[in-house]
Amino acid sequence: MTRALGGCLVLLLLAGCQGQGLQPEMGLNPRLAQPGDDSSPSLAATGMAWIAPAPNGHQQIRWLDFASGLGAPLPGLNRPDAQPISVGVDRLGQRFALVRSLEGRTELLIYERNLALLRPIPLLPAGVPAKVALSGDGRVLAVQVSREGRWQVEVINLP
Amino acid sequence: MVWLLPLLFLLTACGQRFDAPGIGDQQEPALSGNGRLLAMVAERSGRRVVRLVERNSGQELPLKGLQWGMPHRSPSLSWNGRYLALILQRGERGEIVVLDRALGLLRPLPLPGDRLPQALSMSPDGKRLAVQLLHRGQQDVELFQLPAHEADLAPGTPLP
Repeated sequence: MTRALGGCLVLLLLAGCQGQGLQPEMGLNPRLAQPGDDSSPSLAATGMAWIAPAPNGHQQIRWLDFASGLGAPLPGLNRPDAQPISVGVDRLGQRFALVRSLEGRTELLIYERNLALLRPIPLLPAGVPAKVALSGDGRVLAVQVSREGRWQVEVINLP
Repeated sequence: MVWLLPLLFLLTACGQRFDAPGIGDQQEPALSGNGRLLAMVAERSGRRVVRLVERNSGQELPLKGLQWGMPHRSPSLSWNGRYLALILQRGERGEIVVLDRALGLLRPLPLPGDRLPQALSMSPDGKRLAVQLLHRGQQDVELFQLPAHEADLAPGTPLP
């Protein structure tokens, strides 16, 4: 009897410990599983942006909506001749910050999903951007920049 | 009016940097929900460690409870900065940890299976984690819930 009670207690403790850790999202993870490399996840409250394999063998930025479990179009964002390097998204999944390589240049850009509008953010003084992050309210951007062989982090307030 | 927006960006995109004595390269930035807090990995005395800076004052905030003996990677913040997720590098293996700044508690979050974390993103409420991981030579992105966390919500956000 004592041994059985002890066993139950151990099982309860183990169950409690499991509840404290990482719980895989069983409903969403199968939708992310595909051949090819995925990278640069950025979470919003409503979904996730990340860099995923594109049908042409290149890579593209994608959006997964958590409520529907489906992807959503990002009109005007991806180009077949551009290589996305890093992406960050705001809390509502409306404003994206991204770094991409295009025609030998590495660019920092902002994408407004509801306007399907993509615009460059100039770096002053000039530098090569790498990783980017966006605040949840979409008003502040932080970017890792290479200048004269040194990595710096620069923060930019956005209108 | 839409054509005016790029011009506005050009006029207002002025950068702010947070260099400090003894700090080398700074990489992998992350912001809190309203951009008040900036986390990044900085090289300090030859080690890669997370810095947390309050942007308005430029003041570096203490990270009580964090382990400083191992290199840090890929920080990510919840909305108010209560939770700081990062990867602690133990030799070849990375370990995901979350620092609860409100409690000063560091919680290790082992990945199930033989998978190595490469990069993290925490949801604004701190209750979900997206992990870029290396598994059998392929980079995947997977999602995890963190049910033990209280939600770290933006002011005015309705409770779930």
